[in-house]
Amino acid sequence: MEVNDMITGEERRLAKHCIEYAVANGADGIRVSLNKSVMDSCSMLNGDLDKVSHSADRSVFIYLYVDGRYGTFSTNRLEEKELEEFIGQAIVMVRMLGEDRDRRLPSPERMAKDARGGNELGLYDSYYEDSDSSSRLERAERMSIFDSLEKKAGYKVISEECEYAESADDTFLIDSQGFEGRHTETSFNCFSEITVQDEEGNRYSGYWWEASPHHDVLKLEECSHTALERAVSQIGPRTRRSGRYRMVVDGSVASRLVSPLINALNASAIQQKMSFLEGSMGKKVFSEGLTIMDMARTPGRSGSRMYDSEGVATKDAPIIEGGIVKQYFVSTYMSGKTGLEATVEDISRPCLMPYVKEKKLTDTEKNVSLKDILRHCGNGIYVTGFNGGNCNPVTGDFSFGIEGFAFSKGKITHPVREMLITGNMTELWNNMTAAGNDTRQSSRWQIPTLAFEDVSFSA
Amino acid sequence: MNGFNYYSDIFKITEERLKILSDTALERGGDYADLYFENTTYFNLLLKDGVVSSGGFHTDFGVGIRVLKGEKTGYAYSESTEMAELLDAAKAAAVIATGINDRRVYGKVIDRKQDIYPVKEDWRSISADKFLPFLKELEKEIFSRDSRIIKVIARMSDSVSDVLMYNSLGEITYETRPMGSVSVTAVFQQGDKTENRTASRSYRTGAELIGKELVKELADEAVKGIDARFEARRPKGGTMNVVMGAGASGILLHEAMGHAFEADFNRKGQSIFSDRIGQRICPEGINIVDDGTLRWNRGSGNYDDEGVPGEKTYMVEDGILCSYLHDRISASWYGVKPTGNGRRENFRYHPIPRMRATYMESGNADPEGIVASVRNGIYVDEFSNGQVKIGEGDFTFFVKSGYLIENGRLTAPIKDINVIGNGPQALADIVAVGNDLKIDNGTWTCGKEQSVPVSCGIPTVLISRLTVGGE
Repeated sequence: MEVNDMITGEERRLAKHCIEYAVANGADGIRVSLNKSVMDSCSMLNGDLDKVSHSADRSVFIYLYVDGRYGTFSTNRLEEKELEEFIGQAIVMVRMLGEDRDRRLPSPERMAKDARGGNELGLYDSYYEDSDSSSRLERAERMSIFDSLEKKAGYKVISEECEYAESADDTFLIDSQGFEGRHTETSFNCFSEITVQDEEGNRYSGYWWEASPHHDVLKLEECSHTALERAVSQIGPRTRRSGRYRMVVDGSVASRLVSPLINALNASAIQQKMSFLEGSMGKKVFSEGLTIMDMARTPGRSGSRMYDSEGVATKDAPIIEGGIVKQYFVSTYMSGKTGLEATVEDISRPCLMPYVKEKKLTDTEKNVSLKDILRHCGNGIYVTGFNGGNCNPVTGDFSFGIEGFAFSKGKITHPVREMLITGNMTELWNNMTAAGNDTRQSSRWQIPTLAFEDVSFSA
Repeated sequence: MNGFNYYSDIFKITEERLKILSDTALERGGDYADLYFENTTYFNLLLKDGVVSSGGFHTDFGVGIRVLKGEKTGYAYSESTEMAELLDAAKAAAVIATGINDRRVYGKVIDRKQDIYPVKEDWRSISADKFLPFLKELEKEIFSRDSRIIKVIARMSDSVSDVLMYNSLGEITYETRPMGSVSVTAVFQQGDKTENRTASRSYRTGAELIGKELVKELADEAVKGIDARFEARRPKGGTMNVVMGAGASGILLHEAMGHAFEADFNRKGQSIFSDRIGQRICPEGINIVDDGTLRWNRGSGNYDDEGVPGEKTYMVEDGILCSYLHDRISASWYGVKPTGNGRRENFRYHPIPRMRATYMESGNADPEGIVASVRNGIYVDEFSNGQVKIGEGDFTFFVKSGYLIENGRLTAPIKDINVIGNGPQALADIVAVGNDLKIDNGTWTCGKEQSVPVSCGIPTVLISRLTVGGE
């Protein structure tokens, strides 16, 4: 698909002028990111139009290296003279800061050289250009099922909120070593939230959302139906007795358990002694069933990117493989600080691979669904939402509020509420017994339904 | 305080043009329109590994235009104050009124001039190099407090926002809003164990904030309770008495109750407190307040972001729910006056009801007596990562630090657990309120759809039963 030139030739010239001006005025190195974005949204409340909004942004971010010193600056005032003055003041300020020779641009050989067009990964849908306020309203109206909601719910409906939004982003990244990269991406999003009330007057809310770089992927009509199902399914919760249970975590929320691992693999956390995975490189720390890949360059999928915010080329790579830590995320600065080899600065698109304990999955057996996992676990608690809580980055000890359902003999029995899980991330991931292949296309984080044994629940 | 000319120069706008833009925004039949001009400069410095090795400044400039038709909102913004672009934004926002017959009258508010945050030293007039010795001094002071400290990370930031607001009722308001924040994290190592503590302060004040007094205050807090942190364990879980320490545990009040008092959730019937105005929701003698008038407080405002003067709003008075927190839309819908809670992150967002400084007023109980009255429970002095379900009222909070209470005494330190409960039930279960209200002046930021600065506070409070997750 062709990419509309959101960033004009004149704006690209301006970005390049920032580099020339900074270098001419004493900067050793500079990176400039020129960003433009447009977003339109249309919201419905109880079947009627409630809100329309339109936004158009442009800004320039400047990363300056002067005399072994470093600073970051941004402005949305893009007149050439104002920018020159802005950069002049920025250089003066950077010179006031402390010297830190580890601050530098990445080596040129690490930079992406194949990302100049902007749509190499097919993340731009030109449908966006043909869309207008009436087509957005029509899509938002298609999402609403308010007229038939009470009949479908079987309960009093308090409210239905639907939002349809479209956006387009264009980023032009250049540096004083000659790097040039462009990333364009459209995003189409739908979100529904429904609140119902039971006979005792208790309110229950359920939400659902979908997102994609491509407009034709969204199932607009299903969003409110799913939100309604999720609201109604919570009616009549019971508290389950505290104890140790098998836990199944729905793929839509399972990233909450993966993010502490990814955060702990960041060299910045390791260097600041704020990581429970310090010293874990190359070691088997987790269950052999845990494999997380960074699938950074998958065409057409949210989160894919050709380069990170430094311009360093991404690649598809294992992060944790068979429970063994394979990669830290080491920015150029952190590489200097720690002596670790520089990589991309952060994960782009984590994908957790299918697994069933004590069963070697053949390619034809890798279709592991939620139903399969519930059956495999037999009894336990199926977590569909997290409510508050924290993970201590230094120790990996965690405590999260949860909501979900009890299940028995592989079948969901009743909703549970006011429960917590507590434990340690390393122990939890050593107790993983299954991972499905039911990830949602909408998510940047491709985390499927997960199962763990021997998890401590409090109520 | 600056006059209109100061702001009209920044934004290159005249009263005549403001009126033209407002009229354009209403040309499709809107009931009300407002314009929000903002010019913000941010500045930040970071000290890490002994060096102030990163810093910068940022400029954000633009105009948000909103049109209301009934309770419906049209919103657009421009990053330029060129008249052609402003007119385009006004026309984009005007679209909301197309084909809608609902109508609502939006009334004027009484302009009450106030200066809640007088500034001695303007942040924008001070060069970065003036702040470097402060960060170095802060680092040195913290290292001097405890030999187990292996790292200190300190951040300071300031922002100054020039804001001009105009609406179709002809009201013009303007002000300049300062904010200064400093936070510091100390990392401690004892044997093979590592712990960290963070302390922060944030005020709507000028650069006079930066000085020796602040160094001492932050250093005191950064090392406070670290021995207990190393000893702390997860307690046995269960349902028990929970004493919330004065100050920072007020965040529970903000999350678990305050959001449910915001009028947008109630107008839509989504809050557990919908339709409960005038009803008793907690014991007699309890007052819960959202206050925009605390001097130099991070949550305060001379005006909110709809040009409504900041005020002190009682949400609960003597145990009775007496007011929600209103923006102009909800105030008009409920037929009450706006309470000055219409706030936004910046010109890119339209205002919605948001809290400011939310706290419970002092009661008459002696804090030590409250602890002494508990046979078996926990004392919490620091919560984090709270979350609430507005409709159900269920909340979960992570306990960063606290103690077991055994036979009326604080005993073993605890950490890394959650408390869970239900907002209305927890309010009803309050059995004692201390006489020691403390406002916490940390860098609290509320993230309901948009980020806005807030603060919180609470006296020592005993709740008779909450679920505590433990081993």
